[in-house]
Amino acid sequence: MSSVATLHGADVHGAHDTHHEHHHHETFITKYVFSQDHKMIAKQFLVTGMIWAIIGGLFSVIFRLQLGYPDSTFPWLEDFLGHWAKGGKLQPEFYYALVTMHGTILVFFVLTAGLSGTFANFLIPLQVGARDMASPFLNMLSYWFFFIASVIMFSSLFVQTGPASGGWTIYPPLSALGDASSGSKIGMDLWLVSMAMFIVSALLGGLNYITTILNMRTKGMSMTRLPLTVWALFFTAVLGVLSFPVLLSGAILLLFDRNLGTSFYLSDIVIAGKILPNEGGSAILFQHLFWFLGHPEVYIILLPAMGMSSEILSVNSRKPIFGYMAMVGSLFAIAILAFLVWAHHMFVTGLNPFLGSFFVLLTLLIAVPSAIKVFNWLTTLWRGNIRFTPGMLFAIGFVSLFISGGLTGIFLGNSALDLHLHDTYFVVAHFHIVMGVASFFGMFAGVYHWFPKMFGRYLNNTMAYIHFWVTIIGAYLIFWPMHYEGLAGMPRRYYEFSNWESFKMFGGLNEFISLVAMIVFAVQLLFVFNFFYSMFKGRKVTTTNPWGSNTLEWTTPINPGHGNWVGEIPEVHRGAYDYAKDGHEFIPQNVPVGADETSH
Amino acid sequence: MSTTAIPTNTKWWNGGRSPFNASYGKVMMWYFLMSDAFTFGAFLISYGTIRFSVNNWADPNHVFNAFPFAGHANLPLAFVSLMTFILIFSSVTMVLAVHEGHKMNRKGVEKYMILTIFGGLAFLSCQAWEWTHLLTGEHVALLKDGTLSILPTTVKSNPWGLEVAHDAMLAALQKTPHDQLASIAATLHHGGEAVVHDVKTMSDAELISLIQSSDLHVSNPGPIAFGGYFFGITGFHGFHVFSGVIINIVMLAKTKLGHFDQRGHYEMIEKAGLYWHFVDLVWVFVFLCFYLI
Amino acid sequence: MSSAATSADISLAPEHGSGTKRIWKTFWLLSVLTVIELGIGLTIYNIHKGANPNPTLVLAFKGMVCILTLAKAYYIVSIFMHLGDEIRNMIMTIVVPLCLFIWFITAFLWDGNSWKILRNTNAGSRPAQTEQHQPAAIEKGEKP
Repeated sequence: MSSVATLHGADVHGAHDTHHEHHHHETFITKYVFSQDHKMIAKQFLVTGMIWAIIGGLFSVIFRLQLGYPDSTFPWLEDFLGHWAKGGKLQPEFYYALVTMHGTILVFFVLTAGLSGTFANFLIPLQVGARDMASPFLNMLSYWFFFIASVIMFSSLFVQTGPASGGWTIYPPLSALGDASSGSKIGMDLWLVSMAMFIVSALLGGLNYITTILNMRTKGMSMTRLPLTVWALFFTAVLGVLSFPVLLSGAILLLFDRNLGTSFYLSDIVIAGKILPNEGGSAILFQHLFWFLGHPEVYIILLPAMGMSSEILSVNSRKPIFGYMAMVGSLFAIAILAFLVWAHHMFVTGLNPFLGSFFVLLTLLIAVPSAIKVFNWLTTLWRGNIRFTPGMLFAIGFVSLFISGGLTGIFLGNSALDLHLHDTYFVVAHFHIVMGVASFFGMFAGVYHWFPKMFGRYLNNTMAYIHFWVTIIGAYLIFWPMHYEGLAGMPRRYYEFSNWESFKMFGGLNEFISLVAMIVFAVQLLFVFNFFYSMFKGRKVTTTNPWGSNTLEWTTPINPGHGNWVGEIPEVHRGAYDYAKDGHEFIPQNVPVGADETSH
Repeated sequence: MSTTAIPTNTKWWNGGRSPFNASYGKVMMWYFLMSDAFTFGAFLISYGTIRFSVNNWADPNHVFNAFPFAGHANLPLAFVSLMTFILIFSSVTMVLAVHEGHKMNRKGVEKYMILTIFGGLAFLSCQAWEWTHLLTGEHVALLKDGTLSILPTTVKSNPWGLEVAHDAMLAALQKTPHDQLASIAATLHHGGEAVVHDVKTMSDAELISLIQSSDLHVSNPGPIAFGGYFFGITGFHGFHVFSGVIINIVMLAKTKLGHFDQRGHYEMIEKAGLYWHFVDLVWVFVFLCFYLI
Repeated sequence: MSSAATSADISLAPEHGSGTKRIWKTFWLLSVLTVIELGIGLTIYNIHKGANPNPTLVLAFKGMVCILTLAKAYYIVSIFMHLGDEIRNMIMTIVVPLCLFIWFITAFLWDGNSWKILRNTNAGSRPAQTEQHQPAAIEKGEKP
């Protein structure tokens, strides 16, 4: 290891001495609750996201019980769910509520707020060399709006008629008519209000991230020297800021349809022989508005995972990332294409087929930047001096899942094939692998990699390895078979399949999937245990830069206070990926370019 | 967990020159407005989509032809152009306030902020009148049950469909019950209490001849979505104007208290100005989508 | 934190000449554009009142109003909101994302128009009797 690594060690010893130099008095409330420190807000997002992930994961276990064992009863379920599981049998209404809430929670509350909320908050100021976000106050508000959204969504689980149950996409008329199902009553209103709060949170956060990256970079940190994590989080924020407002509009119109009798999404509806007065609206309009957000949302979830994996892959293979500018360019291309392809979710709605063909073309174009990213990740690994840290394993796992999940996307992006595959388990398998599990892997990679920076301790490695291997094998065992079920035409969102002769053959497979799902869920609890155990009892970090990384967050003290750097903010002299360069294993960004070096 | 903290006098940011030569607050305001443009964009595009998807749409020149205190005079576009000019003018006073702020002229800022707030309130009053006029409604429409009735413009119904042919109208008059006839007659002759009392006592035949004596136009109920979009979008815009007025009042108070002089710059006025101009910008498009085309 | 907001790091844009002159010029420009728009609006009204409204002519006038509106938007953003005085990169970060509206509008209106065709022909919701006998019959039976 070259001498540059110890350049900043001096800060460590001063850490305790400066403790009493706080420039303002911090109480428990200002430090841990209404904190304006981006690092604390990041931890708040992370812990809230983890709680949501456990709830959302638990829901999937419960509805997998129904799918895996449709003929059995589980008396303990009745103790747990009351009248929603009469006699130990999950009621169909609640099955739909569980599926809906599973999707909503994991897509929005875990993989949007929990993922980019955590890492954008934590990494952006540290990696661009800023003492905090552009507006720490709005940043705090962002978390608290998320908290309000969480409370409302959580309370909707306990209302008499049950939470929203129209699917996480809440298509009208099911969501627009209060009498359509039990979940379309107050649960749906709470869902919409909660999402409105969530959107406010996402916008406040996103505006802050963008502004911080553009306006608050330290000296020498040009845009082309930014680590790829920051680039990815930047595009994530841009996607959020431009697409969430559209969902807000759609949700407001839906609220009007529900409560004021307007006809934005309703037309020609007949219920029990009675024609509703609503006329002239279109249910497909909602789908357009929803997916104008919904598709960028997929990348809001995925891009942070891409960025973090890029960084972790490069650090742990001790090699510069292959094709930095191509990586940035492909992120940019994905961000733009994300806005142009929304209607590929709607090929079977009666979308104009000619218009649909444009969406097919644009959708298939996404394969190009995606492939660039995949090849660059692989070439980064190629002949690298790879260290298999838990973070690295999860980053590699992310690449694997992104490839397997991305390939099936090419199937679904073709409208001709989608007619057959739409709303089958093939789709479930596709998006769970490419956006669900892959993003989770990015998130885990990030947590394992930056945990030492967050808490000054390491996570336990043994538990981490168990976590990784069970999760990746389990994820493939769960979702791989679903492709076959989907190709055979098995539709998603069905309560049970025993009425169909043709799906009887999948009974055993469904049971197997459910079994593996439970094991994988149990292993996530091991991760949660590891997280909280290591926070207090883990091995302490002894050097500021444990991974030998180039980025600026490792130039701060081990447990940086509010303001991050004790002295001046370091000046940046080079890009983030000077690994294995001119005989040095790594050269941090704040090291001036030496005379003997090939310049940067 | 021990933490370090930075000494009090440390500079919070030392990136050298600001990349955009603008403060973070201004940059953030710009991106907020960009995001809000997508909210309005989504509303207006939804409106356009629904409008494209039906065969007939309300004719704006027919819907918006009234003017306060002008009775039943047919004045298409007149009132809305007044509203547009009010908003453009308040935009000018706002930009002048920003201009005075650059010159650190407190009195000038105060003067133009007051004018801007006044413009905003005037616009809101106009909108209140227009909404009231549409919601109270004076137009006769042929209902689905074959009778005629006064139909206001609401989110659930409106009288802005195709015009009913003369024969059909006569047939409908015969089917219309007494109460509805009386209210139509009273509205057409828009008199005071005396007229209302008179028509109540008239027979159906008398009422019909009375109605026919005036120039009666009857239309079918219009596209239901029209009311929802009109009230929804102008309401959302009005809400923005309202919050803009509130922001401007706060800015005026802060100016009067000398906060900006202490701070050494009037940037807050500039940010409030950005918001206010955005409201004007949105109106330009609302004006286009609802009143002109 | 507010100390970071404005300081020597930001140099105020130089004022243009006498400043207010430019503002008033823009005001008159906007007023004139609005008056032209109103004129076109009234022309459309009169065309509609006529015996045989020419749809192409109306469409052309409506297109003109749209272009005039874009011009107004340009002047408001560029002069009143001072975007024209900002650094080019900042202008790009704001203008480029707004280009998404092109496809946003095109695709939505295109599909809206296609719903109208479906509505008028019933081609979307009800399959033609001759082609698919069985499903059509079932669907009819289900309709209350």
